[in-house]
Parts: sequence; structure tokens; C-alpha cells
Amino acid sequence: MAHGHKIELKQEFFSGNKKATKFSLILIVLGLLLTIIGIATAPKTHPSNEGASSEEHHHVAADNNTPRLNYYGDHQVNHPLPPPIPEDAGAHKPWYSRVYANILTNSYFFVLVSCLALFFWALQYIANAGWTTVFKRVIESVVAFLPIASIILILILIIGKSDLYHWAHYEHEALKPGEPGYDKILSGKSWFLNSSFFIGGIIIIPLVWFLIGKKLSSLSVREDAEGGLTPFKKSIRWSAAFTVFFIFSISVLSWLVIMSVDAHWYSTIFSVYNFATGFVAALCAITLIVLYLKSIGHLNLVTDEHIHDLGKFIFAFSIFWGYIWISQFLLIWYAHIPEEVYYYQVRLMDQWKPYFYINIVINFVIPFFVLMTRDAKRNPKLLGWIAVILLFGHWIDVYLMVMPGTIGSLAQFGMLEIGMLLLFTGTFIYLTLLSLTKRALVPINHPYLEESAHHDVGV
Amino acid sequence: MSHNITTIRPRLVTKDKSLADVSNEICRPIENKPSTTWKIGFTLAVIFFGLLAFTLALTTLVGIGTWGLNKSVQWGWDITNFVWWIGIGHAGTLISAILLLFRQKWRMSINRSAEAMTIFAVLCAALFPLFHMGRVWVGAYWVFPLPNAFGSLWVNFNSPLLWDVFAVSTYFSVSLVFWYLGLIPDIATIRDRATTKGRKFWYNFFSMGWTGSTRTWNRYEVVSLILAGISTPLVLSVHTIVSFDFATSVVPGWHTTIFPPYFVAGAIFSGFGMVCTLLIIARKVLNYEDYITIGHLEAMAKVLMLTGTLVGLAYITEFFVAAYSGVEYEQYAFLNRATGPYWWAYWSMMTCNLVAPQFFWMKWARTTPWFIFFLSIVVNVGMWFERFVIIVTSLHREYLPSGWALYSPTWVEIGIYLGTFGMFFTFFFLFAKFLPVINMAEIKTILKDSE
Repeated sequence: MAHGHKIELKQEFFSGNKKATKFSLILIVLGLLLTIIGIATAPKTHPSNEGASSEEHHHVAADNNTPRLNYYGDHQVNHPLPPPIPEDAGAHKPWYSRVYANILTNSYFFVLVSCLALFFWALQYIANAGWTTVFKRVIESVVAFLPIASIILILILIIGKSDLYHWAHYEHEALKPGEPGYDKILSGKSWFLNSSFFIGGIIIIPLVWFLIGKKLSSLSVREDAEGGLTPFKKSIRWSAAFTVFFIFSISVLSWLVIMSVDAHWYSTIFSVYNFATGFVAALCAITLIVLYLKSIGHLNLVTDEHIHDLGKFIFAFSIFWGYIWISQFLLIWYAHIPEEVYYYQVRLMDQWKPYFYINIVINFVIPFFVLMTRDAKRNPKLLGWIAVILLFGHWIDVYLMVMPGTIGSLAQFGMLEIGMLLLFTGTFIYLTLLSLTKRALVPINHPYLEESAHHDVGV
Repeated sequence: MSHNITTIRPRLVTKDKSLADVSNEICRPIENKPSTTWKIGFTLAVIFFGLLAFTLALTTLVGIGTWGLNKSVQWGWDITNFVWWIGIGHAGTLISAILLLFRQKWRMSINRSAEAMTIFAVLCAALFPLFHMGRVWVGAYWVFPLPNAFGSLWVNFNSPLLWDVFAVSTYFSVSLVFWYLGLIPDIATIRDRATTKGRKFWYNFFSMGWTGSTRTWNRYEVVSLILAGISTPLVLSVHTIVSFDFATSVVPGWHTTIFPPYFVAGAIFSGFGMVCTLLIIARKVLNYEDYITIGHLEAMAKVLMLTGTLVGLAYITEFFVAAYSGVEYEQYAFLNRATGPYWWAYWSMMTCNLVAPQFFWMKWARTTPWFIFFLSIVVNVGMWFERFVIIVTSLHREYLPSGWALYSPTWVEIGIYLGTFGMFFTFFFLFAKFLPVINMAEIKTILKDSE
């Protein structure tokens, strides 16, 4: 029990760590190399059509003499329902759409991690929570990747949208009823799924998050410099504003960017699911950085109690993720409506089957059983490994949401995928550590600092 | 517990209360003759309880034909009321278990009455499906997987309605045990203070030999922690499974994947609504304003604002996805909700649940008891309309227009609903008379604490 005695609230600075910087740079270089090799060695012809080049395919698809296949390979015009087994989404995509799909997976995943770290930050203010104060700077540092990840996301969506999204590919052709290839469902969605709304949304939403994040960050700096309760009180107001905007905007972003990958499909819980995935990942990232800084002798005010509580959060929200996962899966499986069930049908077959099970095992089964005991949550090594595994698991989750609907059989898990993941992870680590050096590690004038330093739950 | 709490946090119990003050003030209603207010309220409640008995007897003797249900709208006020009461029954366990996990100490002065409310609300809720089954004398065991020798059919394990039977009954038993366990130290306190023979005997009987020794406290805390651990998944499972009753179907407006978390958020919302309604009166009548402070009301108002907005987010998501889905039945179901013959129910729901809680953005609204009371009534009304909208407007216009019908309740259905209020308040008044409304043992630990 740590209470009862006085704890000296000392300021700390993180001036960078050579080993960590080297590690992140190695990841970047290795990732870059693997990505380049992956691109160079990627099959440039389509696996299902050996011999014919993808360029030709593209032309064939645009050729007026050949009736164009719609998403489901369905020649029938005005067919309202998808057939039971949808056709491979990657059948007519050029080889480089695999590169685009990988950039989309990674940038979206890291946008989720950083924007949910920002959400966690705001949550501490609106919930009047004190215990996180000692590692508040770590939460702030995870948000540092938000602008870069967002810009990559925006760029890839603008450049690759017609190669990634079925709806965007046919959008410019303005098909009318009666024409071959006309898709009644997609045409009915064009009020939402159209390029102007799409690009507007993916630019404006992360921009607003970034601006509010910047405001919160500047208040944090001001608090360090001036003290007093003004920055704290202002932070509460900005956090409340952010949270309200965030819960609505992350829904829209998840519909625009990810749900529209399977443009015929819909699920009302989808935005909550994306939130859950991102929140667990953000908690894991925060925990890892806290554990790392502690292991090199920083964050002396962080005790086992804080680590324990972070463990509880990861445990609880892994269960929450599992709850949302089963809600979506069970209801769609049970009702067995063709429009909905094909989403899981694809993911339960062929090449996607292992990912489907890996997803649920890593993201629910492992944390549920491993983190159940008190000792596990207070064991930095174990908790750290679980956080790493979970970050990978939620990356797989995003991968499984993106790949089948964008590039289908074109997708692989090779050097390109591993390389791109390493590249993004390396950049994330590098930027996070860099942002940690830019300000003091202890929010010395935060009104809850003392309370947080004495944090002790007693159990 | 953290011994170093920031001074800017408000105190949990205002005025400097001593341990004796707590016992004296909280035991006062139990150790004195009932007040006139109590007598009037109790009589009124019993009259409505009588109405419940009468209307249920009529339903049993004559049959479900006394209700306004028809072939299209087979679920009407009955299931609306069932879901409404079940939703209210969420706050108690939520406050004792989930707020415990989040270490919200302000829960301590409201958890006892919220748990009592939970138990009474679940009892009210259970009446509706039970009597809707028709022959209630067999319905009582039809729902359980008993051998065919009992003369009934084997239950359908694939049906979420059956899961509901298990979820609600488990939830009820665990909540009851949890509530009773928490009462034991307080019952023992009353026993020790008892001046009459009767009180001494009964409180001694129900205190189960509580001695207050370290050993008993130790066991008490272990069991509390285990029960809190069990209750947390239970409280989430109940409304999740209630939502499955609808969402596993293929009825437009019912089959939507967001239902489980959305129902849980709605249940927390309506549960807190009812807690505010009850406690704002109780703190005034029983003079507990130092225990259930403005700070408590403000925290509850914030929870109402948060969950109201979450429920609103779910409404908007549903509406959006219906439009986006491209399924015309889905689109029509939602259009029909907003503009069809039951448009007033839809817009009442929207106004009460999404718009009204937004007033709590103002500090004044969060700290003015009469205004919170008013809004808590609005929330109760809005959540009733939500269930009505989901159930009736989805059923009354089905896939085939030949099956379209309207529904309005008969006086029997209205009588049963009003009657459940009678039952609820009869139990609540008895609880307030014979048991401590605030957990004395817990509140004594936080007299000097801040939030």
C-alpha cells in the first residue's frame, strides 16, 4: 500500500532513447525494403486468369461489346438481391490495387488508434477521472500520429478509390436503368456513396479531430507553463465538445471508409464495432508506451496500480469488443437474410477462414483468459505481450474488414503486407517518441496529479 | 483506497455528519410511526395494486381477448410494458456493479434504493409475458425445460424468448441476493438499536446472526465482490437478450444489429430516469438532502445526458442505415415510424430521449432538483414510447398490405399497466418503511470523502 506517506512530485523529461529510435528506424527501413521487394515480386497477372494481363482486363471490362459483370458477376439487369455466393471482388482489379488496399488497412488502423487515444484523453476530462494524470503525456503522444495517418488515408482514398471501391469504380459511368451493368442498389445509395461526399467527409472529419486535439494539447502546454485551474476547466469544455462530435463523426467515417468496401452490405452496429476495435488498440498502444518508459527508468510516478488499471481497461474492452462482435455475427447468422449474410459467408470460406478465427481468438479468447487474474494485469511483461498481440489482432480485424471486399483473391499475406505493417509501426513509434521529447513527461500543474500519484485501489 | 484526493472535488456527504447521525437519520422512518405522506401514498399504491389484481383476474377468466391485440399486432402494450419495466430494472445493478468497477463512490447513497427498484421493476416486468401466454396456470412452468410428463412440449432452445426466461430469472435471483446481502449489516444495526420486542425479533431473524466481527465482514466483502462480478455480465445480458427477441427476427425495423448495445444504453437511460424520479422525492420527504446531494443529482443528470445522446445516436444510425440499405421494406418501416399513423409516438420518443436530455448541458439544469425531476418524467415517458414505436409500428404494417392493421389498447391493458405502478409503489413504500433506504454501513466509510 503506497498511501500514507508523501510522494515527491518531480518533473521528468524524456530526451529520447537511442535504442528505441534505432529500433523504430530499423523497422522503417526493414518495412520499406520488404514493401519494395513485395511490390517487385507481386504477381502482376491475376491468379485466376494466368496469361492475360490485368491491363487487358481493364480494357475488356470497359469495352462496350462485352456485357459488364456487376459485383456479383450477375448478368441479369435490375436484380434486387445478391446471389448466395458473391463473386470475387478482385477478379478484375489491377495488381497494384493490392498495394492500395494495404495502405488503406494500415492508415485506417493507425487513424483509429490515434483518434481513439484522443477520445480516451477527452474522456478523462469529462469523466473527472484522476488516475490517468501521471501518464497523461503518453496518451497525448499517441495522438501525434493522427495528422500523418490521416493524410495518408486521405491520399490513398483519393488516388485509389476507384480501384478499391466497387461503388466508386462505376460511379463516373452514371449508369441508367436498363443499361447492362446497372446496379439498382448502388444507384439507390448514390446520395451517400458519391465522390464529393466521400472526399469531403474523409478530409473534414479527421481535420476537426486534429484541430480539437491541437486545442487540448495547447491547453496542456499552457497548464504546464502557467498553472491555475483555467486550462483544466477549458479542457473539460473542449473535451465535451470533442466527444459529442467524435461519436457521430467516427460513425460516418467508418461507414464511408470501411462499410462502403462491401457496398451492398450494411450493418447498424458497424460503427460501434469499429469504435471497439480502435479503442482496444489505443489502450494497448498507451499501455505499451507506459510500460516501455517505465522500463527505461521514466514515469516514476506510475505504479503497479496504474498498470493494473490499464490492464483492467484492456480486459474490459476486449470483452466489449467480443460482445459487439457476437452481436453483429449472431444476429446476421441467425436471421440469415441474403443481403446481410454474404458478408460472413465470404469471410468464412477459402482464404479468409483462418483470419476469421484468428480475429476472434486473439482479440477475445486470449485477453479474456490471460488477463482474468489480478497477477496477470500487474505483470508488466505479460501485459506488454498481450498488448502487442492485441494490436496485431486488431490490425488483422481491420485487414479482414478491408481485404475481401476490395481486392478479394488478389489479397495475400506476404512480404508486402508485413513490410507495410512494419513501416507504419516504425513511423508510429518514431513519431510518438519524438512527441514525448517535446514536452515534460509529468503534467506538473494538473490538479489531479497528486491524487493520481497516490492512486491505490486497495484490491 | 486513495487517501489523497484533490481538494477541488466536492464532498460526497455534505455537512459534517458523525457516525451516530447517520444511524439516527437513516433509521428514523423505520423506528417511528409512518408519516401522513407515507400513509396517503401507500393507500393510493394499494388501490392501484387492487386494480392490477382485478384486470389480471379478468384477463385470466375471460382471456387475452380482453386486450386490443389483433393478428398483425400480436405484441402491444404488454410487451412494451415488459421491456419498459425491464429497462428500469437495470439501474440498480448498474449502479452497484458497474459504478463499483469504475470506483464511483457517489453510488453509495443511491445504490440501495436503486437495487430495490430493480427488484420491484423486474417483478412488474415478468407479469406481462406471463399473462400474455394466456393460460397462466400452465404458463408458469411451460417456459422451463421440464420432461414431457408434465404434459407440455419441450421448449425451443433456439428461441431468444426462452433465453429471456433464463436471463431475466437469473438476473432477478442474483439481484435479490445481492440486495439482501448488502442489507444484512444494516438490518443488524436496526436490531441492535431496536426498542420493541417485535422489531428485535424480526430484525434479528433477518440479520442472519450478523455479529459485525472481522470474520463476518471479511466473508461479506468476498461474497459482495463475487456477486458484483457475476452481476456485471448479467445486467448486460438481460437487455441484450431482450433485444434479441426482436433482432433475430426478419421483421423490418426489428432486425438490426445495433440493437444489443442500443437496448443496454436505453435501459441505463430509463433506469437512471426512474432513479431520479424516486430519489428526488425521497430525499425531500425523508430529509436526506445531505446524503443524496446536488452533486449526486448532477452526476445522474450527466449519465442521463450521456445515455440519452447514445440512444439518439442509435436512432440516427438506424434511420441512416435503413435509408442506405437499399431494402425498401427497411426504408418503409422507418418512414412509416416517422410519418405513419403512429408518427406522434415516434416524435415523442425523439423529443423526450434525444432532445430533452440536452438541457443538461446547462449547469443550472443539472443542479435544480425540480427540473431534473421534470426531465426524469420526460425520460420515462420517452422510453415507453421508444418500446411502443419499436414494437407496434413495426408490426402494424407487415410485408403484405392485406395484413395491415391498427392497434389501440383496451381499458384492461391500460388497467394492468397502471396496476403495475400500484404494485411497484406498494413494494417501494413498504421498503422505505421497514428497511434503510440508504446503505448505512457503506455511507459511514465515505463521510469525509470527496467524489
